[in-house]
Amino acid sequence: MQLSVRRAAVGIALASTLGLALAGCGSTTAQTGSKPKAATTVALQETGSSLLFPLFQLWIPSYTGSHKNVTLNAASTGSGTGISDAENGTVQIGASDAYLPPNAPSGMLNIPLAISAQQIMYNVPGFNTKHLNLSGQVIAGIYTGKITNWNDSAIAKLNPGVPLPNLKIVPIHRADGSGDTFLFTQFLTKSSPSTWTPQFGTSISWPSVQGSVSATGNGGMVTALAQNKGSIAYVGISYLNQATQQGIGYAALENKAGSFVLPTQTSIQAEAAGLVSQTPANESISLIYGLGANAYPIINYEYAIVSKTQSSPQVAKAVRTFLDWAISGSGGNASSFLSQVHFQPLPSGTVTLSQKQIAEIQ
Amino acid sequence: MIATSGRGQIAERVRKGAAGPKAGGALGVLQRMGRVRVGDVLLKVLTGVVAGGAILAMLAILVFLLRDSWPSIVYNGWHFVTSQTWNIGSLYSTAVTHRNGATAAAGASFGILPFIVGTVLSSLIAVVLAIPLAVALALLLVEYLPAKIGDSLSFMVEMLAGIPSVVLGLWGLAVLIPWIGQSFGPFLAHWLGWIPIFKGPIGSGQGLLASGIVLTVMIVPIIAASTRDVLRQTPRETKDGALALGLTRWEVIRAVSLPWASSGIFGAVVLGLGRALGETMAVLMVSGNAANYLPHNIYSPVGTMAATIVSFLDSAMSDPTHMAVHALAEVALVLFVISVVVNVPARLLLSAAARKGGVQAQ
Repeated sequence: MQLSVRRAAVGIALASTLGLALAGCGSTTAQTGSKPKAATTVALQETGSSLLFPLFQLWIPSYTGSHKNVTLNAASTGSGTGISDAENGTVQIGASDAYLPPNAPSGMLNIPLAISAQQIMYNVPGFNTKHLNLSGQVIAGIYTGKITNWNDSAIAKLNPGVPLPNLKIVPIHRADGSGDTFLFTQFLTKSSPSTWTPQFGTSISWPSVQGSVSATGNGGMVTALAQNKGSIAYVGISYLNQATQQGIGYAALENKAGSFVLPTQTSIQAEAAGLVSQTPANESISLIYGLGANAYPIINYEYAIVSKTQSSPQVAKAVRTFLDWAISGSGGNASSFLSQVHFQPLPSGTVTLSQKQIAEIQ
Repeated sequence: MIATSGRGQIAERVRKGAAGPKAGGALGVLQRMGRVRVGDVLLKVLTGVVAGGAILAMLAILVFLLRDSWPSIVYNGWHFVTSQTWNIGSLYSTAVTHRNGATAAAGASFGILPFIVGTVLSSLIAVVLAIPLAVALALLLVEYLPAKIGDSLSFMVEMLAGIPSVVLGLWGLAVLIPWIGQSFGPFLAHWLGWIPIFKGPIGSGQGLLASGIVLTVMIVPIIAASTRDVLRQTPRETKDGALALGLTRWEVIRAVSLPWASSGIFGAVVLGLGRALGETMAVLMVSGNAANYLPHNIYSPVGTMAATIVSFLDSAMSDPTHMAVHALAEVALVLFVISVVVNVPARLLLSAAARKGGVQAQ
């Protein structure tokens, strides 16, 4: 008797635990399943570019505050993951610093959200507040190991009258896959095709240079710059303040017209203005090394990677509404958001193209 | 009063089936046997499921890795382990490369020899540095310190083994790397520079030596804890006998304890080696993440297999042909095989040492 009662008790306990577990599963599926019906709340998920992530964090409270029927989550995973997640349909919006490759699956859109830029930074004690002049040719020489000292005649030629130090150059590149590597190597490919033979991409096969260093993330690049005298690195514009606060300098870059330009609002917008008219309907375009006397040569569109076909009409509508808000000057492209991360708003020509692409999301 | 209450307790224990062998009559024995059978069967089934599950999980991982890396195995063949170039190819070219029926991005080639060398060398440095430290620590704990202090110190050592590796990585990045780059590296190069691998250039401090030292800190507690357990099982009689013969404490350690524990210590070292081979985060932060070349001295930046999987994953995911992800899966497969080959003999040696201890103690 006693035993059978105990067994029954154990049985009940087991059954109830199992039941609870099952009920747990059931309730979660019920929740997600009933979401569109109940109060029509749509959950949007964004993953991707770590450069766009801070902007999404600024956008989310403001947007979800005025759009109560939408929840939006953002995650900084890297552009490659963002593209892949959007293609697999695990997220609605993938953020990427680079446009989609030509072999990407059809049915994917890349929609510019804002304009970013990249500066070339260096740690040469005594010259960090002076903005040395550098060209794509010289930087390609440094990253291929042909130019190894700051007093090299090729650098001296760009900086007449500057007493350059006898200091070994430490080139730093990103160890992880990165949109910044994409922009930097594309700049070298376009400005110095004869010296820069490795291709461009988010992760490339770097030439082996004696004493070179690699770092992870833009933060890691800034730390590595601070730690290594004589170093040079490419850093996203949103890290400009952080780096200059640590006493690191950045270069004036030679543009296609032959003048040396610093990354400022005027020079970035000048570069963008020259390329808007050339932006194709699918908006896959490199904004690097364009014409314009006062144009800064390394800028890019920051993209939302979105599938044309969404899981339901409600989700598609929520994605369209959000993206339309994000690119509008009174919404996400307002300077109150962009100035905090040093991005520039989209020119009106690009906004029109983006609106056409957004309308394709169903 | 006392007697009755005592009897009452016994009766209760019999009813509960928790009586000792002397208590209760035939009924109690029968009840106990019934319980034992149920418990036995339950335990057998449970352990069987768990043990079978572990083996199944191992097999499932192997099958999964083989399936995911198969296109890369086909595409790269033996070049994968003999070639030095890791290049995911030009993702932004419309062309693709076909080889042996598999498709990859234009110009892609995957060789992991530098990562294999980096993994093996950094782990070997760690083991060479860790053996004397760990054995000395274990001897101190077992042979020299009074039990109370020894126990609390043992506890500290075990705590050390539990430190998250990212914390050690951060320490390596903030403290160790500048120290190697500015003080320890130049010191080694000055005094040991006549040995080719210690000759400069030293670089930033990121590299093989930094990885080896961080891994040393990580595996000393692991080796020390296992060695301590093996040393504790040294037969008291033999040691007492040796002391009685007039041997000093050091002579007893050398002639009795260490030879007795040697196979167990070897197992502990190989266990530590297994840990070092698979370590990811800490190495990612201090190794310099080199690719495409073999280390030329002990200060040279290296990449390891585990760290490479992390740092290359994001850009690999943007490869529309998916070959880059397959190649990373093959890196994981190679690492998995190496880990199994290292760990299985270590476990066998350790359990053999434990058995020997059990037999001799009796």
